[in-house]
Amino acid sequence: MSVRRARRRSALRSASAAWLVVALSLTGCGGQSALTPHSGPARDIDKLWWWMLAAAAIGFFGAIAMLAVAWWRRRKEGLPWLGEREETTNSLVIVFGIAVPVVVLVSLFVVANLVVAKSTEAPAAGTTQLSINVVGRQWFWEVRYPGSPAVTANEIHIPVRTRVNVIATTDDVIHSFWVPELNRKIDMINGRTNRVLLYADKPGVYRGQCAELCGLQHAHMAFQVIAEPAARFRRWLANMAAPARAPQGAAAQQGEQVFMTQQCASCHTIRGTAADGRIGPDLTHVADRRTLAALTIPNTRPELISWIRDPQRIKPGNKMPALGLSNAQINAVADYLAGLR
Amino acid sequence: MAASATPQAQQHVERLERIWAERTGLLGWLTTTDHKRIGLLYFFTTLALLAAAGTEALLMRTQLIGPNKDVLGPHAYNELMTMHGVTMIFFVIIPMTTGAFGNYLLPLMIGARDMAFPRMNALSFWLFLASGLFIYTGLATGSAPDAGWFDYVPLASSTFSPGRGIDFYALGLIFNTVASTATAVNFIVTIFKLRAPGMSLNRMPLFCYAFLAVSFALIFALPALTVALIFLELDRRLGFHFYDPSAGGDVLLWQHLFWIFGHPEVYIIILPSFGIATSIIPTFTRRKMVAFPLVALAELLVAFIGFGVWAHHMFAVGLPTVATIYFAAASMIVVIPSAIQLFAWIMTILTGTPSFKTPLLWIVGFIVTFLVGGLSGIMFAAIPFDQQVTDTYFVVAHFHYIIAGGALFPIMAGIFYWFPKVTGRMYHERAGQWSFWLTFIGTNVTFFPMHIVGLIGMPRRQYTYPSGLGWNGYNLVETLGSYLLAVGLLVAVVNLVVSLRKGARVGNDPWGGDTLEWATTSPPPPYNYAVIPKVSSAYAMWDREDREEDARRLARGERTLQQGHETPASTVLDADWDEILDMPADSPWPITLAAATAGIFAMLLLGHYVTAAVFGAIALLVLVAWHGQEPQEA
Amino acid sequence: MSDVTRSVHATTPAAAARVASQRRALPNGWWGAALLVATEATLFACLIASYFYLYSYTTKWPPPGVERPSVALPLVLAAVLVATCVPMLLAVRAARAGRVGATAGWVALALAVQAGYLAVQIVELKDDLDSFSPRTGGAYASAYYTLLIAHHAHVLLGILMSAWLLTRLASGLTNYRVVATRVIALYWYFVAAVGVAVTLTLVSPSL
Ligand code: HEA
Ligand code: HEA
Ligand code: HEC
Ligand code: CUA
Ligand SMILES: [Cu+2]
Repeated sequence: MSVRRARRRSALRSASAAWLVVALSLTGCGGQSALTPHSGPARDIDKLWWWMLAAAAIGFFGAIAMLAVAWWRRRKEGLPWLGEREETTNSLVIVFGIAVPVVVLVSLFVVANLVVAKSTEAPAAGTTQLSINVVGRQWFWEVRYPGSPAVTANEIHIPVRTRVNVIATTDDVIHSFWVPELNRKIDMINGRTNRVLLYADKPGVYRGQCAELCGLQHAHMAFQVIAEPAARFRRWLANMAAPARAPQGAAAQQGEQVFMTQQCASCHTIRGTAADGRIGPDLTHVADRRTLAALTIPNTRPELISWIRDPQRIKPGNKMPALGLSNAQINAVADYLAGLR
Repeated sequence: MAASATPQAQQHVERLERIWAERTGLLGWLTTTDHKRIGLLYFFTTLALLAAAGTEALLMRTQLIGPNKDVLGPHAYNELMTMHGVTMIFFVIIPMTTGAFGNYLLPLMIGARDMAFPRMNALSFWLFLASGLFIYTGLATGSAPDAGWFDYVPLASSTFSPGRGIDFYALGLIFNTVASTATAVNFIVTIFKLRAPGMSLNRMPLFCYAFLAVSFALIFALPALTVALIFLELDRRLGFHFYDPSAGGDVLLWQHLFWIFGHPEVYIIILPSFGIATSIIPTFTRRKMVAFPLVALAELLVAFIGFGVWAHHMFAVGLPTVATIYFAAASMIVVIPSAIQLFAWIMTILTGTPSFKTPLLWIVGFIVTFLVGGLSGIMFAAIPFDQQVTDTYFVVAHFHYIIAGGALFPIMAGIFYWFPKVTGRMYHERAGQWSFWLTFIGTNVTFFPMHIVGLIGMPRRQYTYPSGLGWNGYNLVETLGSYLLAVGLLVAVVNLVVSLRKGARVGNDPWGGDTLEWATTSPPPPYNYAVIPKVSSAYAMWDREDREEDARRLARGERTLQQGHETPASTVLDADWDEILDMPADSPWPITLAAATAGIFAMLLLGHYVTAAVFGAIALLVLVAWHGQEPQEA
Repeated sequence: MSDVTRSVHATTPAAAARVASQRRALPNGWWGAALLVATEATLFACLIASYFYLYSYTTKWPPPGVERPSVALPLVLAAVLVATCVPMLLAVRAARAGRVGATAGWVALALAVQAGYLAVQIVELKDDLDSFSPRTGGAYASAYYTLLIAHHAHVLLGILMSAWLLTRLASGLTNYRVVATRVIALYWYFVAAVGVAVTLTLVSPSL
C-alpha cells in the first residue's frame, strides 16, 4: 500500500469516524451487546456462541423429538424400528449419553479453550503501544494514562485499531471491567493486578459496565470507551494532561471560591488548583465528559445542578453527600465546572 | 394393612399399634422422633420458606418490570436478592428434598421402621427451623444480608458491610450447616444399616442411590463453607486477617472455599430430583428403568466429579491459564453422567407405555428444562464465552432453568406422586395438569428471555437498568412470566389443600408403584410395616409373591418385631439380618438442644461471648441428659 | 434369623460382649461417628489448605516481628497425643470382651495423659498470645491461631466425652456403652491424626 493511498484512506476513515462519533453520541451511550462485536476477540466469542447455539439446538430438538415419539407411541412398548430388546435400548443410552457427548465436548474444548481463548487473552507484556490504568471505585471508574498526568473518570478514550492494555485494579471492593462489544470481562481484585486487551475495529462509543456486585450502586457503575482516530486521541490526551482552565467571568470565579471553601475540594481533585481530594472523581476536565456519575445522567447544566443539589436522589447511596448549598452557590459552582473543558 | 384380614394378623397389628402409639397434640409434634412426622414438619416449613423466597423473587421482578423503576430502592433490592438466593438454596430446595422427601420416604423405601438416629433426626429439623428463624430475624429487624448469596469479600467485610446483615448470613449458615450435616450422616447410616434384610446394595431403589450420593456430597462439601464462614466472622468480629490483602490475607481465598462447597452444592440440589424422577418414571411407564447400574453409577459419579470443578465460577478473576483449562475440562467431564441419566429417562419413557398423569408431566417438563439449563451450563465451560457472559442474566437463565425447572419440577412431581401415600386421598387430576402447564409456560416465559438479555449485555444483580439498551421488552416479559409461574404454583397448592379434605380416598397403591412404600397403608402407620418386608429386587412392589409372603408372615406373627420400637439392622453390602435394634420413642431433648444452640448463635451475633459460652454449657448438659436413656439405636 | 441378636437385652457385661462378638457389621453408632469424623477431617483439610494457600502468596511468613514457631516441643506433644491411642485401643478390646474394670482403667489412663497434654498446650498458647496476637500478626497469626485453637477445641471435646464415658462405666457395661467406647476411641484416633497434621503444618515455616 502506497503512503499516499494509506493517508487518503485514513483521512477518509477519520472523516467517517468523526461522523460516527457524533451519531453515536446523539443516540446515547453506545451499545453493550455481546452480539454486536466490534473487535477480533469479541467477534470470535460471538462466532463461538452461534456455533454452540447451533449444536445445542440440534441436541435439544433431538431429545425433544425422542420425547415426541414417546408420546406418539405411548401405547406401544419398545423402540420404533429397533424392537424391544433391552440391549438395544441400553446401547442407545451409551451412544447418546457417552459417545456423542465425548465427541462434541472434545471439539468444543479444542475450539473454545485452545483457539478462541488465545484471541481473548490478556496481551503479553510489552506488546501494546498503550497501557491504561483503570481503577474500580464505589461507584465510578478512575482512568489514568501512565506516562501522562491525565486522570479522568468513566470515559476511556483509546485510539482506534490499536491494541490497548488495560490494567484493572480496585480501590475498595471487587468490580468487574466489561465492554462486551470489544472483549471479555476481567475482575478487579484486591491485591491483584489483572489485565485485559481492548481493541476497536472502528471509531465509536462502546458502553461498558461493572459486572460484579459491588454494593448499593452496582447498577449505576457504567462507563464509555470512545475509540477515535489516533490524532484525535492524542489531542484529547494532551488536553486531559493539562491542568484546569482558570475560571472565566465573575460567576465562575465565585464558583471556584465556593468549590474550594465548601467541602468539594476535600473529595475532588482539580489539577492546577488547591483541590486535591481523593474520594470522588477528578474534575479537572469534567466539562469534557458526556455524562456524570458513571453514566447515570447526561452532563448538562440542569442535570449538573440537580446532582450538586442532591446526589443521593439521583444515585441513592453513592458516596457524595448533599451539602446544602444555596441556589446561588450551586449555580456558581455549575458555571465554574462547566468551564472545565 | 390390606392383608390384615385374618384375626391373627389383626392381633399383631393391634399390638404394634399399641407399642408405637404416638403422643398427640402439639406436644406430640414437638417431641416426635417419627421420621414421617419430621418429614412433614420439614415439608411445611420449607413450603412457607418457598413462599417467602418466591415472594422476594416476585418483588425483584416487579422492580425490574421496566427501566428506572422505583418499587424497591437499591438497599431493599440487594437484601431481597440475597435473601431470595440464600433461602432458595439453603432453606428451600435442600431441606425440602433431604428433609421432607428423604425423611419421609427413605426409611419406607428400604423397608425400615425409622431412621438410624431418630432423635438426631428431630434435632436436625429443630436446628434447621431455628436457623431459618435466625436468618429471617435479620430481615425482620432490618439487617438482612445484602452482598449476594455468595457474599464475596471484601464487600462482605466489616469495612464495606458494617451492621449485622452479614453476621446473620454467616452465623445463620453455619447453623444451617450443622443441621444438614446431621441429616446427611443419618441418611448414610440408615441406607447402610437399616435396609430390609435381602435388599443388597444392587437391589436398592435408584431414589436411595441419589440420596446416598447427596449425603456424601454434603458431608464433604459443607466443611469448606463452614471454614469460609468462620474465617469471615473472625475477620469481621475479632480483627483477623484471612481476607485482608493489606495484612497478607487474600480475597480469593473466600471464593475458592465458597465454590469448593458451592459447586458440589448445585449437584446436591439436583440429585434428589434425579432420584424422584427415577421413582416416578418406572411407575408411569410400567417398565423398569433402562440401564439401571449405569444410572446408579452416574448418580454417584455426578456427586464425585462435582468436587473438581469449582473454579469455573471464577473464570473472570484472572487465574493462571493452566488452572482455567483444567477446570473447564473437568466441567465438561461432569456432563457425561448427567447425559447418561437424561437419556436413560428418555429411553425408559420411549420404550415403556407412559401415561401422562400429573407427576409424569412434571417430570417431562423437568427433562426439558434440565436439558436447556444443562446445555447453557456446558457453554460456560468454553472459557472465553464464560468470561463474556459471566455475571450476566445468561447465568441467571442457566441456573433458573436447571433449578427452578430442574430441581423444583421434580419436587412438584413428587408432591403429586406421593400425596395419596401421605394423605390417603387423591388430588384433582385436571387441576394438577393445569398447574403444570401454567408453571411450565410461566417458567419458560420468565427465564428464556434472560438468555437473550444477558447476551445483549445486561449484568445480573442490578436493582435497575437504563432505557435504550434494548432490555426493556425482555424484562417486561420476564416479569409477566414470573406472575404466571406464581399462579401455576398457587393452583397446585390450592389443589392439594382442597384435596386434603375432598379428594377421593385411595388404597395402599393407587399407582401400581414399584417401590416398597406402596406396600403399606396410606398414610403409613408409625411403625411403617407390620412385617419387615421381604425384598428380592429393586422393584420390590412388582414382586407379587414377596408381598403375599409378607401377608402370610403377618398372620403367623413372623418378622413382626413387637417387643419395643424394634427394627432390624443388616450388613452393609448384602443386607443380611444382623441384629434387632430398639429405637427411641419421642424425646424432649432434641428441641431443647436446638433451643440451646439457637441461644449460642444469638449470643454470638450480639457479641455476648460469655453468655454464648453459658448456652454452650447448657447444651452440653442437655447432651448428657439425652444420653441418660440408653436405647439400642447405636 | 436364629443368630440375630437383640442388642436391647445386652445390659450385662457378658451379654454386651456376646452382642459385640456376634454382630457382623459395624454398629450404627460407629458408622455415625466415622461419618462425623470424615466431615471433621474435611474441615481440617480446608483449614490446612487455607494455611498453605496464604503461605504460598506471602513472601514473609511469619511476618516481620513474629518469631518462627518452635519445632521440638510441638512434635513431642503430638507424639504424646498419638501415644494415647494405645490405651484407647486397649479400652475398646476390653469393652468388647466385657471387662468393665479394664475398660475404665484404660480410658482413665488415656484421659489423664490427654488432660496433661491439653494443659501444656494451653500454657504454650498463652505464651504465643503474649508475643503476637491475631490482630497484629497478619494473616499468619490468623491462620496459626485458628488452626491451633480448632484442634485444642477438639481435644477438649474428646476429654469431655471420655469423662462422660467413665461416669457411665461406673455403673457397668451394656451394649450401648461398648459402642460408646468404640465411638470415642475412633474419635481419638482422628484427633491424634489431625494433631500430627496440624503440628506439621504449624511448624513448617521453621523446617
Ligand atoms: C441444580 C443446580 C445446577 C446444575 C445441575 C448445574 C449444572 C451445570 N452447570 Fe451450573 N450453576 C448453577 C447450578 C447448577 N448448574 C448455579 C446456581 C450457578 C450460578 C451460581 C451463581 O453465580 O450465583 C451455576 C453456574 C455455572 C457456571 C458459572 C457461570 C458463571 O458464573 O460464569 C458454570 C461454568 O462452567 C456452570 C456449569 C455447569 C455445567 C457444565 C453443568 C452440567 O452438570 C450440566 C450437565 C447437563 C447437560 C449438559 C444436559 C444433558 C446432556 C445432554 C443432552 C448430552 C449432550 C450434551 C452435550 C454433548 C453438551 N454452572
Ligand atoms: C433454588 C433455587 C432458586 C429458585 C427455585 C428460584 C426461583 C425464582 N427466581 Fe431466583 N435465584 C436463585 C435461586 C433460585 N431462584 C439464586 C441462587 C439467585 C442468585 C442470587 C444472587 O445473585 O445472589 C437468584 C436470583 C434471581 C434473580 C436475579 C436477581 C439479580 O441478579 O438481580 C431473579 C430475577 O428475576 C430471580 C427470579 C426468580 C423467580 C421469578 C423464581 C420463581 O421460580 C419463583 C417461583 C416461586 C413462587 C412464586 C413461590 C410460590 C409458592 C407458593 C405458591 C406456595 C404457597 C405456600 C404457602 C402459602 C404456604 N432469581
Ligand atoms: C464526601 C465526598 C464528596 C464531596 C464533599 C463532594 N463530592 Fe462530588 N463526588 C464524590 C463522589 C464519590 C462522586 C462519584 C459518585 C458516583 O458516581 O458514584 C462524586 C461525583 C461528582 C461529580 C460527577 C463527576 C463525574 O464525572 O461523574 C461532580 C460534578 C461532583 N461530584 C461535584 C461536586 C461538587 C460541586 C461538590 C461540592 C459542592 C462535591 N462534588 C462534593 C464525592 C464527593
Ligand atoms: Cu462495581 Cu459492580
Ligand atoms: Cu458450578
